Amino acid sequence: MYTVSSRSTDWIEIFRTDKGVVYQCDATQRLILAFWDTYTALSARDFAQFRRMVETIDVRQMALSTDLAHDVEILTPPRSERCYVLTLCEVIHLRELLSGAQTMLELNSLLRECGCRLP
Amino acid sequence: MKDLVRLRTPIKESVELALNQQIQMEMVSSSKYLAMAGWCDRNGFDYSAGFFYKQSEEERGHAMKLFHYLCDQGATAISPEVPAVAQEFDTLRSVFEGALEQEIAVTDSINRIISVCRRENDFATEELMKWYVKEQMEEEYIARRCLDLFDQIPADQIFELDKQLSKVTYDGNVFE
Ligand SMILES: [Fe+2]
Ligand SMILES: [Fe+2]
Repeated sequence: MYTVSSRSTDWIEIFRTDKGVVYQCDATQRLILAFWDTYTALSARDFAQFRRMVETIDVRQMALSTDLAHDVEILTPPRSERCYVLTLCEVIHLRELLSGAQTMLELNSLLRECGCRLP
Repeated sequence: MKDLVRLRTPIKESVELALNQQIQMEMVSSSKYLAMAGWCDRNGFDYSAGFFYKQSEEERGHAMKLFHYLCDQGATAISPEVPAVAQEFDTLRSVFEGALEQEIAVTDSINRIISVCRRENDFATEELMKWYVKEQMEEEYIARRCLDLFDQIPADQIFELDKQLSKVTYDGNVFE
């Protein structure tokens, strides 16, 4: 993973919500997560792992527990120095963004399998 | 637009998940058999103990085969969490009954993985799973044959029974 300071014009937008964007960079073979005005570039493998980390957060416990420790979830994407400290709302937003991106990536795979190719 | 996931691995996420669950199941089997071996050992069933020590090693081998396959295919293999298993059993018979139940659960799980492979058109993984289909046929046969021996050998000849149990093998697998 590495941090990118600004958006490159080669990036393909994969999925967007009002909280963030996921781009793909074909040149570096990275997926770039834009969330909170920061860009984090991840390999496809690390992206998948990070998505699973976000998916498996126990949001029920976050919502119901009165323990301060459960108010936020601290996540570090694989092989990165970045650290996300997420509130319940942010976890939900991130989930929506990552699963939307996942669906689009799967769609791209499906098209490739059928012999179609997106530019 | 490049298909980054496919460039990394031909294994679909659903297959990767299923195989990682299977790795865990094989390691749990290995742990269960080791507990059975320990119980047999401390209760004087030396031959059955030997049988289960060997089974325990084999199950670890089954897990490792899948682990290496995932790594070789560029997917992520996960070293599994193995929960606590039962250490105590009522009788030698109940140990072997437990073994058969475990093998049946594994066979069902292997079959489920094959249906995932078919859904995803993953022929390479399906080919690998065929080895497990054969293996399970053999394992279930042996476990069942062992249980038959409990009915065939009188209960007062427990030493003879212990000895015969460890000799059960399956030659002439119809798949080979
Ligand atoms: Fe096995
Ligand atoms: Fe087995």
